[in-house]
Amino acid sequence: MEKNNRSIRIECPKLLITRNESDLQWLIGSPFFPPLTIISTFRCIHSGSSSPDFLKESEEIRTLLLKGLDVIGALIVGKSDPQKTAVTAVEAARNLRKVLSGKTNLENEEIIGAVADPDTGDIRFFVSENERSANLDLVNSVSYDANPEKFLWESGCLLLCQLPVKLPVCFPVNKPSDVEGIFSRAIEAVIAKLKDPNVVYMVEASNKASLDVVQPVILRGADLDFDTTAPNIEPLDEAAHSSEQKLLPCGHFCLKSKSTPHLFSAKNADILQVSVLLNRSEKSPKRSAPAVEYFPAMEETRLLIVDFKLEVLCYAVQGIPLMHAISKLIIPGLIDQLISMKQTTLPNLLTQHPELHPYHFCPPGIAHPVTVIYELSYGETEMKQVDARRSLHMRLGLPFDRPLLRIANSLDFSIKGRSSTSSTRKGSSLLKDVHVGIPSSGVSGGIVSLVQGSYEYYHYLQDGFDDSGWGCAYRSLQTIISWFRLQHYSSVDVPSHREIQQSLVDIGDKDPAFIGSREWIGAIELSFVLDKLLGVSCKVINVRSGSELPEKCRELAFHFETQGTPIMIGGGVLAYTLLGVDYNEATGECAYLILDPHYTGSDDVKKIVNGGWCGWKKSVDSKGKSFFLQDKFYNLLLPQRPNMV
Amino acid sequence: MVKAVVGEESQLQLVEDRLSQSSAPAQVGLVIGKLSSGLDRGFVYDLVPTPQNDAGQSACSVLEPAKDNRKKGSNSKPKSQSSDSSSSLVIDKEWVAEHARQVSRMMVGGINVVGIYVWASEATFKNSTMVLCQTVKGVAEAASLLEDDLDERLLIHICYSPRRWTCRNCTLSSNITSSSLRPCDFKMGRVLTSLQTFKCFYNFDLRLPIYQEKASKSETLVDVLHNGISNYVKELRGAKAMIDGNLVVNDEICTTDGLHEIELLLPFMKDMYIEACSQKDVVGIVNLTGSVCSFSFLNSKETISQAVADIKDDIIRSLLSRLDIICDEADEDAGTNDDVIKETRNDSLSEKPVSQLVLHSLRKNCNLSLPRRVFVPWLAGTFISDHLQPSETLEVLKDHCVELMSMEAPNDASKILEPEEESLRVTARSFWDAVLPYCSTSSPSNEKSREITSKETSQKTIKPSNVNFIAAIIILLLSVLVGFIFVRKS
Repeated sequence: MEKNNRSIRIECPKLLITRNESDLQWLIGSPFFPPLTIISTFRCIHSGSSSPDFLKESEEIRTLLLKGLDVIGALIVGKSDPQKTAVTAVEAARNLRKVLSGKTNLENEEIIGAVADPDTGDIRFFVSENERSANLDLVNSVSYDANPEKFLWESGCLLLCQLPVKLPVCFPVNKPSDVEGIFSRAIEAVIAKLKDPNVVYMVEASNKASLDVVQPVILRGADLDFDTTAPNIEPLDEAAHSSEQKLLPCGHFCLKSKSTPHLFSAKNADILQVSVLLNRSEKSPKRSAPAVEYFPAMEETRLLIVDFKLEVLCYAVQGIPLMHAISKLIIPGLIDQLISMKQTTLPNLLTQHPELHPYHFCPPGIAHPVTVIYELSYGETEMKQVDARRSLHMRLGLPFDRPLLRIANSLDFSIKGRSSTSSTRKGSSLLKDVHVGIPSSGVSGGIVSLVQGSYEYYHYLQDGFDDSGWGCAYRSLQTIISWFRLQHYSSVDVPSHREIQQSLVDIGDKDPAFIGSREWIGAIELSFVLDKLLGVSCKVINVRSGSELPEKCRELAFHFETQGTPIMIGGGVLAYTLLGVDYNEATGECAYLILDPHYTGSDDVKKIVNGGWCGWKKSVDSKGKSFFLQDKFYNLLLPQRPNMV
Repeated sequence: MVKAVVGEESQLQLVEDRLSQSSAPAQVGLVIGKLSSGLDRGFVYDLVPTPQNDAGQSACSVLEPAKDNRKKGSNSKPKSQSSDSSSSLVIDKEWVAEHARQVSRMMVGGINVVGIYVWASEATFKNSTMVLCQTVKGVAEAASLLEDDLDERLLIHICYSPRRWTCRNCTLSSNITSSSLRPCDFKMGRVLTSLQTFKCFYNFDLRLPIYQEKASKSETLVDVLHNGISNYVKELRGAKAMIDGNLVVNDEICTTDGLHEIELLLPFMKDMYIEACSQKDVVGIVNLTGSVCSFSFLNSKETISQAVADIKDDIIRSLLSRLDIICDEADEDAGTNDDVIKETRNDSLSEKPVSQLVLHSLRKNCNLSLPRRVFVPWLAGTFISDHLQPSETLEVLKDHCVELMSMEAPNDASKILEPEEESLRVTARSFWDAVLPYCSTSSPSNEKSREITSKETSQKTIKPSNVNFIAAIIILLLSVLVGFIFVRKS
């Protein structure tokens, strides 16, 4: 009977379906959500000949997936018998869950097996109730939520635990092979200690506002429940509000007022900071006065200190008691991360000292954060790291031309980082994204295509440098380079006028006398500099007259949709930066979002917007005046996103 | 800068009575109390006279001007107390400093040696400021307060005619000038009765690797411990604290009475090894384990974080005091055995006390019990402490109280707190066990100690109460039984 009421909820911003036959995707859900709720998918990227490589998959997914989320099924792209394919999917998902949890008996768990048609993209969902019974039930009721962020974060919160561990390992010099065993024993000792009654977990709000109001809460290891056989964590009854510390819910630390819907995201989520402490005043029946023992090493011995920086992020709903969040999420998370780091370190323990560091990302299209451990002794652009990021992009269904998982993209949990948003550069801060919130263009029925991501507004007279009358293209270039910087394609500093001139001389485009001059540069020079400094290539569109520009609107809109970079408009007269177009394909009516580098005032958004230095310009305004001059030619420089991650 | 000082009237009145009855022309001693940098105030709980030195001379005497050409330091009786205006004090500075060193070992958290007092005439005092400042300085060095050490101490002058108390603040600059002394406001009041009591146990598990480095080749066990503990201070200072189960977050004033339990929380995995290195050769590891019991007393105007700081201070100070005691003992042994042949290779272990062994050349396990701490009731519900070696009994403690603190010997042994049991040394572990993090240090219960330890003394302290308790139960059972039989019969 119940089966008929079953429905699948899909809470992903987009359920990405590849068109490759027999591709497998893991369906991600959470024990805190109603059953059969899918919040994202991870692609399976390690496959054997016939089935996924469960060991490899589980190792990676264990790191990637926050505690509080889990694999609830699998989806296979295939044309053959859906029922059979679904059985394969369910089996795979069950297998992965077993490997992930280390349990062999997961009989009574509902698992989703989904089958997607590669041609139509239609997905059929089946549910398996029980491992032993082979039959699957087709679920016809599938609901897609338009606002998954709200679903996840309205009642959700994050728990963050940072734990640096300095692990001493002694080993006999003439039997270095022993070190692995000793190291493993040391790790085990630490794992056991995490569950020790004398360990104390301190939970505090990391949000500045709540920090002042809510006092930290102490949870003693002795009060925690490590019973792994216990059923899933149940949220507390709203009514049964207890003043007892250990029964406080996570929501105790969360801001109550969260009315504005755009605040629902992982970046704005309430974060509970968990610290692990050791009670050195623990009660014990016998207290002996201090004594000292000396143990000489009987053979030549070396001490190695292995440094781990654990940083575990967990997802929980606010109704979960803190004590369960600690014992069922934080501690298993710490243990898993420690083991994962141990496995990376173990093979070359004595020769290499990898600097492993966990980072948390919230890439676009995924409503929940993921955790990635990077090896910092390599540079970010080294092949090994690039490959690691590529495979993560692949797993998460992210585009391969956007750096979304670089360290600079990671979530910043420091209190300072969360409170301030302005970027500082050489002490002064530049305005970012000045077009946000300006009045609309007035194009009726138009579709707005805009620059994707942040840029900084560079204009005349900035940094006390007088370039009025000749520096507009330089400023436009600086704005474009700032976009590449802020999108993490490059860490190159935004060049000064002189540096721009220098690089043009360096490539042989200009004579050395050019340096320090007040000569104009144009779109072509900009493309040279972008290539030289960032390795970015550009497309150039030429129009003989300003009146031809509306014809290019479709192409410009396409550029903003696919590339999303700011465009530089050069040519016969003044240089501008183009940030977007508003285009009605049917009527041909269009407007251009212009960022004007000729502004000479102070960095004040109001003044800039009111003065029209950043705003929508129609080709022909209400007074019949053309923005782009009929008798001048224009060069449009369209920087292309580099193919990099 | 301490600007105002309050003295405990009940206690200082006793001191004044005692002084006025004494025939001594001058007296010097220690000021026990507390200096609060946060409140800019000082509190004086008691004044303790410095006893006569080993030669039987008092620590302070009055030097008459040249006409009476006697040698200084001789315990001369002046003709009259109102000696003439050119007389000055002669103080055995080293002896006063030694007194301060010994007394500071008996202090607990929030109670310190904070200066000296002197009983002398106005003129004598005026003529002796230099020597008094030097004495204050010597005392400050001998009994340094660990926590945010104020560079000032008190100099209290009790003038006999006219009878007057004045307090000066002595700055501990490197060179003492007349400007080092500044008068500060002194008044009597009640301070002892409003003290808040805090108690804390701290369980150490400190591991100190001994590196195969030239620099450490001659380090003795005590050197290693001393360095290790000094380095540990920073860790401990950073520790979070709970008072009666509540985390100390805001710096508030403690409002509830009674005994408050402090628990100290240290970052996980951070407090065991204090030194980080990438790879170094080690020749062994020193493991310090055991509990330190600590008390601290807080003035009602001070905040709870001060109580926590005082407790942390006391824990470290107690541990260092124990090391000092071990060292003193070793010195004494060395002194008495001067004529004994210098160490021969084989006998070196048995000749030298464990604390003085050079670990680098030591190729076998060894261990060392530090003295245990006991607490004696002092003024108005407070305690002072003493550290007893395994061989020492409570009689030693009584001697210390009488001699150093000039208090009456505590007669009622039941009032003496013995929270720390004598450590049982059981070395069933090997080096490889000892280097593992968090390896259990709880000594196996029934295993016989291979070392020459005095297990008996440790059990002696608990036995009587156990016996009493068991006896009480037996009697209770018997009486129930008898009662039962009677009821049945009737």
